[in-house]
Amino acid sequence: MYISLNWLKDFVDIPKSITPEDLGLKLSVHTVEVDKVINQKEKFNKIVVGKILELKKHPSADRLQLVKVDIGKEKLDIVCGATNIKVGDFVPVALVGAILPNGLEIKEAEIRGVKSYGMLCAEDELGMGEDHTGIMILSGGKTGENLAEYLKLDDTVFEVDNKSITNRPDLWSHLGMAREIAAFLDLKLKEPKLDLDKLAKSKGKGEKIKVAVKDPKLCPRYMAIKMDGIAIGPSPSWMQERLSAVGMRPINNIVDITNYVMLELGQPLHAFDASLVKEIGVRRAKKGEIMETLDGQTRELDENMLLITDGDKGVAIAGVMGGLNSEISNNTKAIIFEAANFEPTQIRKTSQKLGLRTESSMRFEKSLDPNLCALAIARAVELAKKLCREAKVVSELVDIKSFRLETGPIGLDLEWLEKIIGEKIEEKKIINILEGLGFGVKKEKEKLEVIIPTWRATKDISIPEDLVEEIVRIYGCNNLKLEMPRVVMEAPRINKERMIEKKIKEILAQGARLTETYNYSFVNEDQLKKLKMEIRNYVKLANPIASQHTLLRQSLVPNLLENVKVNQSRYNEFGLFEIGNIFMDLTGEEDKGGDKGKLPYQEKKLGLVLAGEKKGEVFKKMKGIVEYLFGYFDLSAGFSSLEDLPGWADTKAAAKIILGDNGKAALGLVASLDSQVAASLNIKKEVAIAEIDFKELARFVFNKGVKKYERIPKYPPVVRDLAFVVGGKILYKDIKKEIESFGPLIKGVELFDVYEGEELGEDKRNLAFHLIYQAPDRTLTAEEIEKEQEKLIKLLEKKFGAQIRNF
Amino acid sequence: MKNSSKIVISNLPAPLRLARPGKLVIWKVKGWEKSHEELRIKNYELGIMKNEIEKLKNEILSNLAKVKEERVLKDLEIKYLGRKGELTKILRSLKDLSEKEKKEIGQLANEIKKEIEDKFSEAKIAISGKSGQERVDITLPGEKIERGHLSPLTLVQNELEDLFTSLGFMVLDGPELESDFYNFTAVNIPPNHPARDMQDTFYIDKKNKDGEYDLVMRTHTSSVQVRAMQKYGAPLRCVVPGKCFRCEATDVRHEHTFYQIEGLMVDKGISLSNMKAVLETVAKKLYGEDTKLRMRPKFYPFVEPGANGEVTCFLCQGKGCSLCKNSGWLEIFGSGLVHPNVLKNGGIDPKIYSGFAFGFGLTRVTQLKYGIDDIRLFNGGDLRFLNQF
Repeated sequence: MYISLNWLKDFVDIPKSITPEDLGLKLSVHTVEVDKVINQKEKFNKIVVGKILELKKHPSADRLQLVKVDIGKEKLDIVCGATNIKVGDFVPVALVGAILPNGLEIKEAEIRGVKSYGMLCAEDELGMGEDHTGIMILSGGKTGENLAEYLKLDDTVFEVDNKSITNRPDLWSHLGMAREIAAFLDLKLKEPKLDLDKLAKSKGKGEKIKVAVKDPKLCPRYMAIKMDGIAIGPSPSWMQERLSAVGMRPINNIVDITNYVMLELGQPLHAFDASLVKEIGVRRAKKGEIMETLDGQTRELDENMLLITDGDKGVAIAGVMGGLNSEISNNTKAIIFEAANFEPTQIRKTSQKLGLRTESSMRFEKSLDPNLCALAIARAVELAKKLCREAKVVSELVDIKSFRLETGPIGLDLEWLEKIIGEKIEEKKIINILEGLGFGVKKEKEKLEVIIPTWRATKDISIPEDLVEEIVRIYGCNNLKLEMPRVVMEAPRINKERMIEKKIKEILAQGARLTETYNYSFVNEDQLKKLKMEIRNYVKLANPIASQHTLLRQSLVPNLLENVKVNQSRYNEFGLFEIGNIFMDLTGEEDKGGDKGKLPYQEKKLGLVLAGEKKGEVFKKMKGIVEYLFGYFDLSAGFSSLEDLPGWADTKAAAKIILGDNGKAALGLVASLDSQVAASLNIKKEVAIAEIDFKELARFVFNKGVKKYERIPKYPPVVRDLAFVVGGKILYKDIKKEIESFGPLIKGVELFDVYEGEELGEDKRNLAFHLIYQAPDRTLTAEEIEKEQEKLIKLLEKKFGAQIRNF
Repeated sequence: MKNSSKIVISNLPAPLRLARPGKLVIWKVKGWEKSHEELRIKNYELGIMKNEIEKLKNEILSNLAKVKEERVLKDLEIKYLGRKGELTKILRSLKDLSEKEKKEIGQLANEIKKEIEDKFSEAKIAISGKSGQERVDITLPGEKIERGHLSPLTLVQNELEDLFTSLGFMVLDGPELESDFYNFTAVNIPPNHPARDMQDTFYIDKKNKDGEYDLVMRTHTSSVQVRAMQKYGAPLRCVVPGKCFRCEATDVRHEHTFYQIEGLMVDKGISLSNMKAVLETVAKKLYGEDTKLRMRPKFYPFVEPGANGEVTCFLCQGKGCSLCKNSGWLEIFGSGLVHPNVLKNGGIDPKIYSGFAFGFGLTRVTQLKYGIDDIRLFNGGDLRFLNQF
C-alpha cells in the first residue's frame, strides 16, 4: 500500500525537522514495515516533456514510426510503435539512462536498422495507471522540463508492506497512519471534522431508499444515502494527484470520491447510479447465480457469497466488486452511496473463490470497524458537494445495523507489565502512549482500566498482552534494556538422533570424502516412470507450483540421480549424500492434533550416490563407504541378496544392507544403476547408489552401547595366506562364515584378492585370504598351525569344492 | 647372503604373487633351511667370526667415508644396521655361542657396533649440513588429499545448534508434512484468519471427513512449538532447525523450499528484555562482537508483542551497501513473547509462565554469511557450488 506524505499532513502537523526518510524509518520502528520512501521528483529522473516535430514511416517496419522530438536543448530521433501521436503533440520522453518505474532502463538502441535515442512513454510505463493504449499525450508544457515538475509532483510516497498490516484494519488508510505518527511523535491528531448528527437528521427531500438486509450476520451494518444534482466529470487535479500518487487511477469524480474516502479513512464505499437501483437487498447469492462485474467478467456465484441486489437482480458482490449493470456512467445524474460493513471470513472466502482480490475486499477481510461507515458516508457526501456544485442529499440516511464490539475495559496490571517487559516504564508515559493511540485509560489502584477504541476492537486488541505490544512499540523496543534470563541451570536433553545425524554427515564428508547435498522433497511421475519405480501410495500436492514438483518423494534416489546429471559433464568421479525425509500415503506415527488421527508416514533416509567410469569399481567403492560408515559406529555392514529390487537397480549388482553377516533386518540397499534406466535418464556415468533407513541405523547405534577395551594379546598372531579356486556361485560371505567359525585359533580372516581368469576355467574364481591364527595362552607353533590349516583346507574342499592352489 | 626368498616369489603364479611375502611361501622353498644352517655353523667358528666382524667394520667405514647423499647413507644403514642388516645378523647369531665365546666376542662386537653407530650419526650430521646444496623446490605442492564437503546450511545450522545447546536449549525435530492444526490453528492462526495469506501454503491433496484439506507442507518451524510444549511442558528451552515450504515460484530470490531454525523458551518471569539479550547473543555469535540488534514491531499471530530483528550489516558495518539495500540493517529473524493462546494450546498456564519464541531464516542467514546471491543453489546439487564449503 502507498501512503502520501501530503495526505498525511491533513491529519498531523509533521515538524519540518523530520525528513521523509526519518519518518519512514520511524514508521518502520514503531508501526509498519516501510519498504521504500519514494520522492516523486526523483521518480521521473531523466524523463522530460518533448514536442513531436516530425513523423516518418520506418523504412523496414510498417508498425514503427520514426519520430523527431524536441526536448529543448536538442532534437532526438526515436523509434516508436504507438500510433496515437501526431506532429505538435507534447509527450513524456524517457532519455537514455532513465530507469522507468517498472525497472526498464532506457538505452541507445538500434531498432530494425534505425538508431533510437530514447523512448516515448505510455501511462502504464510511467507507473501512472494501467493505460497502454498509446503514448501519454500531455496538455502542452515546456520542452525539456522534467516530467515530475510538469506534473507538479511534490509528494513523497511511503510504500508499506501489506503483509505487515494484515492484523491492522485501521492502518489501511491515511487517517490510521496519521494516528500512529501522532502517537509516536507525541503530536496531536487532527481528526476529520464531520457533522454526523446533522447528516443523520437530514431528511433531504424526504426520499426513502428501500433497503432490506436479509443476512445481518454477514452484513452487520448497511448505510446508504441518495444524492442528485450530480454532474459526472473528471475530479479536480488535487484529488487526481493524490490518487495517482498512491497508485489509484483517476476515473471520474464520483468513483474517485469513493476511492479517495477509502484511502483516507479505510472504509470501502460503493456508488450506484440511482436511476438503475430501486430497491436494495442484501442476501446470499443462489448457487449458480450469474453476475457481470465492473471488470467485464461474468462471475458464477454460490450460496456462501453475499450479494447486493436491486429487487432480485444482483448489482454488486458485497464488499468485493460492483456490477456492470449499475455502474456510474457519464449520464449519471443521481447516485446512491453505500457504506457497509461485511463479515470478514465470508469476504475472504468469496474473494478467494472468485480469484478476485480488490482494494475493497482486502480491507473488509481484515475486520473493519462498523462505526467507520458513518464517518465515511459523511465524508463522501461532503466531497460530492465540493466536487459537484449542484449535488445535494435527497434521501434520508439509511442505517441498518446489528453489531456489538468488545471494547473492554482491559485491566492492565502495572506490576505484571513491568515483569513482562523487563523494566519499568513510567505510568505517565504509559497512559500518554495509550491515549495517543485512542485508548481510554482510567487508573484503578495498581491497575489501568483500558477502553479499546472501536477501530482496534474488531479482533486486534482483546487481552493485556496486546496492550504490552502497543506500549512497547511506541515506547520503542530498541529502548528496552537487555538482560539474560535468570533460570535454573539445567543440562539440555540430548537429541541422540540428531547427534548421530551430525556424526554421519561428518564421517561421510570428512572420511568418505563425499559432498553433502540438500534436495527438494518433491518428484514427478515422469521422473519415477523413467526410473521404473512403481507409483503407489504417493502423497500428492493439491496445489503444486511447478510441474516437476508434484509428488512427495518416497526415496532420495530420484533427486540424487538428478544431481548426477547436473555434474556428470564436469567431473570424472564424484559422490554425494543427503539426509532427508521421505513420505508415504500410509498412516504414520505423529498425531495430527485435536484427536484428528495420525499424519501420513514420514521417515528420515540417508541416500548416497557415486558416479564414475567403471561399473564394478563404483559399486565396490559404495559398499566400502557403507562398511566404513558402519565401522565408525563399531557396527559391521554385511550384504545379502535382495529380493524386492527397485526398478532402477541393476539386477546383477544389488544387495540388501544387513548388520554383520547374518543380520536379519534390512537397513537399506546398495545397487548399481541399471544401464537402461541410466540411458533413459541421460546419465552417462556408471552409478552406484545406497539408501539407508536412518532411524534403523540410529537404533542400532544406540543399542550398541559403550565400547569395551580388549586387552592386547600377550602372544603374537601368525598370519598365513591361503588361496583357492571355487565355482562362481559360491558366495564369499558363506566361505568367510565357514572359516571364521572353523576353530578357536582363527582370530580373523581377510580377503585380499579376487582373481578371475581364463586359466582358472569357466565360471571359476580364485580367492586369496590372510588367515590370522592366535591363541590367548601361548605362542602357536608352526606344526600346530600347519595342522589346523590342513584341516581347514579339507573342510573347504568338502564344503565348497575349493581347489587349493598348491605351488 | 643372498635373499633367496625374493627369487622364488617372483616365479610364483599371479594370484600368489600379490600376497605379501608371508611365511607360508618361504616355507615352501625346500632345502633352503638346511643349507642355511650348515653355512651358519661353518661360519661361526670363532676366528672367522672375529675376522668377519673386523672386515665388515672396515667395509662399513670405508663405505661411510664415501657417502655424500642422505639417500645412500640410509641405504647403507639399512644394509648393515637394519633389522636384517649384515652386522645385525652377526650380532644376533652370537646367542648360539657358548658363554665364554659370547663374553669374548660379544664385547668386541658391541664396541664395534657402538663405533659404527657413532660414525653413522656423524655422517648424518655432516650430510644434513650439506643437504642445502640439493635442489628442492619447496614451493611444490604436497601430496593431494581430497576432502568432502558439508552443505553450507549444515555448517551454519551446526554453529547455531552448538550455541543454543550451550545456552541449555534442546534440539528438536518435527514433521515436515504437518497438520493444518499444528502449522496454523495451534499457533493462533485459526481457519480463515487473514494471516494465512501471509504464507503461501502447499496443501496435500487429501481431504478429511469434512471435505477439507487439513494437511500442509509446514510453512514454518513454528509448527513444532505446540508439539514441544505438549511433550515437554514448562519450563522449556528448545530450538528446531528444519525444512519449510511455501507455494512460491522459484527464482534467484524465491524458493519454495527453505530452512529455518525456531527457538522457544518458556519459564517463569520471562520478559522482553530477556528475549532481546538472548537474540543479541545469537547475532553476535553469527556476525561478530560489534554487531548491533534492532527490533521493529511485526505481527506474527503466535506472539504478542511481536517483532522482527535486524542486525547491523556486516558487509558495510551499517553504512549502507547493496547487500542491505542501503539501510545498514539486515533482517534475519522474527520473534516475540509467546501468545497466551499458544501457551494454552500447549497445555501451559499463561498465568504462571511466559516465554519467547523466535525464528531465524537459516537459508537467509547462510546466504548472508557467505554472500550467496542465488537461493536456488541450495537445492541444486551443483558441485561447483557445494564443493566451496
